[in-house]
Amino acid sequence: MDELTGGLPDNTMTLVYGPPKTGKSIFCYQFLRQSVAEDDLCMYLMTDYNLSQLEAQMMAFDWFIAEYIAKKKLYVIDTASGSVGATQKEMKNMMISFPQNPTDIVSKVIQELQSIYQEAQRFRSVLDSSTTLFAFNSPILMIRVLKSYTMRIKMAGGTGVITYTEGAAEPQIETMLKATVDNIIHLDGEEMTIEAMAGLKHTGVGYQITDAGIAVG
Amino acid sequence: MAVTTDGLRKTHIPMLDELLGGGMPEGTSILFTAMPGVASDVFGYQIAAERMKNDGDLCLIYTNTKTPVEIEHTFQRYGWDLRSSLDSERAFFIDSISPMMGVPAIGKYVVNDLKDSENVVKNAIPDVAGGTAVIEDVATLLDTIGVDQTFDLIRQLNEAARANDVNILYLFTRWNYEEAMVERLSGIVDCEVKLFSIEEKVIYRQVFAVAKSNWVETSKIKIFFEVMEPGGVRVFIPKVLVTGPYNAGKTTFTHAIAPNTVSVERQTYELFPTTVGLDIGHIDYKGFSADVFGTPGQERFDLLLEPLGREAIGTFIVIDSTKPETFVRAKEMIRMCRTEAIPKVIIANKSDLPNALSPEEINKKMALWEDVSIVPVSAMNKDGLDQALGTLFNLIYRV
Repeated sequence: MDELTGGLPDNTMTLVYGPPKTGKSIFCYQFLRQSVAEDDLCMYLMTDYNLSQLEAQMMAFDWFIAEYIAKKKLYVIDTASGSVGATQKEMKNMMISFPQNPTDIVSKVIQELQSIYQEAQRFRSVLDSSTTLFAFNSPILMIRVLKSYTMRIKMAGGTGVITYTEGAAEPQIETMLKATVDNIIHLDGEEMTIEAMAGLKHTGVGYQITDAGIAVG
Repeated sequence: MAVTTDGLRKTHIPMLDELLGGGMPEGTSILFTAMPGVASDVFGYQIAAERMKNDGDLCLIYTNTKTPVEIEHTFQRYGWDLRSSLDSERAFFIDSISPMMGVPAIGKYVVNDLKDSENVVKNAIPDVAGGTAVIEDVATLLDTIGVDQTFDLIRQLNEAARANDVNILYLFTRWNYEEAMVERLSGIVDCEVKLFSIEEKVIYRQVFAVAKSNWVETSKIKIFFEVMEPGGVRVFIPKVLVTGPYNAGKTTFTHAIAPNTVSVERQTYELFPTTVGLDIGHIDYKGFSADVFGTPGQERFDLLLEPLGREAIGTFIVIDSTKPETFVRAKEMIRMCRTEAIPKVIIANKSDLPNALSPEEINKKMALWEDVSIVPVSAMNKDGLDQALGTLFNLIYRV
């Protein structure tokens, strides 16, 4: 992927979408792993798993984030725990929100951005997955929310990834979603297609999900 | 029987009652329009909670974004008691979120389809006659049942509220809706309170203002607030920082914009006084009120800069226009105050002196990394002060 594009352009938002089980979440783990490698801060909005599940899933690829978490480099907003009614003491880098309450989600994003901005001018962000949020909210409302989210992340200097499961919303909503982001990457299980990216032509390449993550070629 | 003073019912939100002339007339509505990221629910909850506690109000909460359990937790975090009012049936929920979430509904009334909200809430309003109704969130209604239906619902609820002396509080997260629609929405309620952010790359302060009211003339006053847990909405006195290199004229400038400023100074070997503590003053400028903090310029006081910068809503960086050799120090102080992330204006002081550099020359010499306004000022002669204040406050309030 990095060879293909030179990496995701700085300070842009990328949509990674495709059918279920095509490696969208793994793409996010890999993006987070790179954040760990480069000692960047990362804001991770998770809707389908909690932090310990993320840690376990990454461990399956031999990627370890315990130290990164301990160093408070990872900022989490967890709506998966919120949806099952879990309550915990919130910290400025560990927050719980609720999938059906986008007002609360964005307000927590902004609170964490305030802390992040004190630490760094550049950072990464992950939203995995917007599909869950579409399931809990009016799709048109979700488009507004993702616009607001993307604007906030970019204003604060972030480079982000949003995942989405193809077909979860109506085609016109998908079109609006694509218009919200700067870059679009499609995964279909075999081929990774860069549908849009600043300075790149439409281009595709085969990939496999291996023990070491997504392997291109 | 509702508690009123001169026919007005208190909101118990600090400064809001003052802006509304004492409170809300019985049977009227307020729309709280919040920019995404600015707390709005706390306004509705605080009014309901304080009225239940102090005025014996009956309350209903219609929700389509938070489950009743979450709302109860939120009240607890703010330190307000909802449980005993629920137990004594002096407060109840109209739950239109649990069915969608697939969890058991909690509430006197349940809405299975958002389209039924209008009828259910309308019929529930007489249950809280003389009391308070909180409706959350208007955005969900707009995007789910449609704009026309939502307007119709609000008109119907307002009518029912007027007939029953109920105050309705609508909470509305303003995503990227069309301006015209939002204006029309404001037109069908009695009062609109706007909640918005003061930002520079990230949001760092929250403000409310009364945008319209049918019973009192609105002013342009904006109230800074923060939300405390426990405590709820608290008014915040904004601070403006004046910083810059040694002997640039910060104290003279601070006194010029805030004439009642108190300074702690000491004669130095060079025989002019220098600040060894803080200059502290207060300004009132076109309905905007702020405390002013002038920092010392000497390096041994640098430790003070960071905490002051964190509290500030805007910064004046005062430089001596005749001394380009001090500009590096000025840039360093901008960084130390962490003022990259708040609005700032560079005050090119001593602009009356013959060898003073022009703003263009200063901009070039400072090699600024972004577009920062530079205002030529002579603090001594009180020249350029209005432009300095105007420039900073326009930056702060460009919303």
